[in-house]
Amino acid sequence: MSGSSRPISFIGSSVSKPLFNLSSRLWGSLTSIRLTLLLLLVLVLMAVLGTLVPQGEPLPNYLARFGPRWGLFIWRVGLTRLYESPWLLLPMGVLALNLSACVLRGLPRAIQRVSRPFSWEAARNLPERGRFYLAARQDPEALVSRVLRQELGRPEQITLEGRQVAFLLERGRFRPLGPYLIHLSLLLILIGGLVGKLWGLEGRLWLAEGETARAFLLPDNREQPLDFAVRLDKFQVNYYEQGIPAEFRADLTILRNGTEVSKAVCRVNEPVTVGGLTFYQSSYGTQPDGPVKFRVCQGQDCHAMEVPVRQSVTLPDGQAQIMVVRVDGNLQGLGPAVQVAVKSGPEHPRIFWVSQNHPELADRGGSPFFQPGPHRFQAEAIPFKFYSVFQVRRDPGVWWVYSGFLLFLPGFFLAFLVPAQRWAVVLQPTTEGFWEGRLLGASPRAREAFAAKTARLLTRLNEGDNGLTLRKPA
Amino acid sequence: MISSILGVVTLVYLVAGLFFVGSALWHSDRLDRAARFLLGCGLAAHLGAFLGRWAEAYQLASRHFAPQALSQTLRLVILHVPLSNFFESLVFFSLGLPALGLVFFRRQLQGFLGALAALFASLILAYASLAVDSGIKPLMPALKSNWLLVHVLTAFLGYAAFALAFGAALLYLWQGRATAVPSGPMAAAAGAREMDRLIYRAVVLGFIFLTLGILTGAVWAEQAWGRYWSWDPKETWSLITWFIYAGLLHARLVKGWAGRRIAWLAVLGFLAVLFTYFGVSFLLPGLHSYLT
Repeated sequence: MSGSSRPISFIGSSVSKPLFNLSSRLWGSLTSIRLTLLLLLVLVLMAVLGTLVPQGEPLPNYLARFGPRWGLFIWRVGLTRLYESPWLLLPMGVLALNLSACVLRGLPRAIQRVSRPFSWEAARNLPERGRFYLAARQDPEALVSRVLRQELGRPEQITLEGRQVAFLLERGRFRPLGPYLIHLSLLLILIGGLVGKLWGLEGRLWLAEGETARAFLLPDNREQPLDFAVRLDKFQVNYYEQGIPAEFRADLTILRNGTEVSKAVCRVNEPVTVGGLTFYQSSYGTQPDGPVKFRVCQGQDCHAMEVPVRQSVTLPDGQAQIMVVRVDGNLQGLGPAVQVAVKSGPEHPRIFWVSQNHPELADRGGSPFFQPGPHRFQAEAIPFKFYSVFQVRRDPGVWWVYSGFLLFLPGFFLAFLVPAQRWAVVLQPTTEGFWEGRLLGASPRAREAFAAKTARLLTRLNEGDNGLTLRKPA
Repeated sequence: MISSILGVVTLVYLVAGLFFVGSALWHSDRLDRAARFLLGCGLAAHLGAFLGRWAEAYQLASRHFAPQALSQTLRLVILHVPLSNFFESLVFFSLGLPALGLVFFRRQLQGFLGALAALFASLILAYASLAVDSGIKPLMPALKSNWLLVHVLTAFLGYAAFALAFGAALLYLWQGRATAVPSGPMAAAAGAREMDRLIYRAVVLGFIFLTLGILTGAVWAEQAWGRYWSWDPKETWSLITWFIYAGLLHARLVKGWAGRRIAWLAVLGFLAVLFTYFGVSFLLPGLHSYLT
């Protein structure tokens, strides 16, 4: 349409001239939108594949699921670790190159464009949107200036030859930078991911209550020493009344050279950072701490017995065998409980839970605590310790990623929320003693809003000071 | 109380949708005004029900843990925004549709597009009320974060904007097929151009919200699990959705695509949204599964 309404293309269209050398051909395809769209398509397909094929499981699972031939194939070509494989990393890397190339190509031009002030040279080429006429007795400059200020913002006023006066106004001047900010923020995020991969550290730490650790375990099972020691003083699961967990809480003590330095509470969503490493509460469990003491009754005949965990023990009357399968420190918020298997004769073993604090649950049919009989088990003492599993991490890439996130905001604002508009009003006295005004302007990306604004401006300017609309002199 | 309000809202949206259909068929301004009025009333009641449930969840939670200071009260309020399970997400999704429509696309929300928005909202709300457990459950430890509010809010506003773009795309494709439009070919062409612009604008809005949803989710994940990205199925599918809409925007802004091709991309994008929302929750296990 005009000089300023040229579409702002930040990724060039394909080069139409014949290409003479390889590097410019390579540059051409690296900056092409076709490549971008192709890469997006490939990445979509890869990501879909990654959600269809379960990730990171051992080989036998794939053999069972996809058959020996396909299972092995999927395993061999790396589709089972797709997100760390070239299948995804290669298109991602090319996308990063594509992004960088487009930014390199277009950003200097955008900066140049933005840093050039909106001048009369640019304004005179804007398409004309309408004319208005003002009577000579009015102060036309004040009127135009006021209307523009109220509708758009403060205009720049310049005097031209032949008693002409021009008012220039630009909105969304920095819009051309928007797309580049968005693409730069994507690059920052990708760089952050790479930095994290190269210089980050990630592992797990198992700690039972009372234990102290001076190292944690890396994914390849190597030990990574800590330059401090961390002790788990206490682990708690707190429940709501309904038996739904409300809080997983680990109380930690940090020690240096054997002396306590600080204490910290680590919860889900509330990690603890010590010495550059961050500890995230990720899992927990109960670990038995000695044989379980039962009181076993059949009718009025009761005996005390001790049952070591995961060992089959014959009951005092010799009629059945019991094995403690699992120990839970706080089952459904009801306190300590053990899961036992009781086997008498050739029958299948019966499996149920025995609660220490709530023996009455043994009579409740249908509950996991229900004891079918004939023996009645009561847990007198369940020695146990909680253990907690922490995700331990140091990721120097996070700040790159976060700065990318932050850069998105101005990027989106500029690219999508402030349409670029340029306006100019030129006033010229006519020989009949009127003032003739011309309204020029363009807004390539927001024609709708622009047209509405144009109509409004013309109406107001035509009405002049006293609401009297003058007609163009015949 | 709240569930009966939601029931009434479902009906109001349904009637508003029918009025919109009528206004399109008979070119009746009066029906159009009535439909908008009904939609606005329904939205107000819907918002009231949403806030009511928020208050109820807060009451229940403060019974378990009574806040002492203002900061604790504030945190408890933020934590118990009713966006923590499938039912609540459906209620908010169906709230987002007429809300975005009336706020951002006030002028275009009429006729068949208004009908689609109102009927879709009504359908989702009906599904939520009839088929989904609406009980208020205490908050799981994983959801206890200030990021819950802004993450779910932005994500679902994005879904709602994409749903509007989808509706506009359907109408565009349908208008392209219907050759004999009663009001003449010029009006049809103008309507198609309007729909085309609307698809683009709704996609831009949805894209901004979806991006914010993904970013806030990443910050939250970093805080909760120590990883801003772990290729959880929900994350992966939201990225797939993001890629599709990014492709749409590039095709339009750089290659100048418009019309049917953009409309089809908007349809494809919304299918990805639906899979991200429903498919992932029920078919693929992960941190976002609603079945746990």
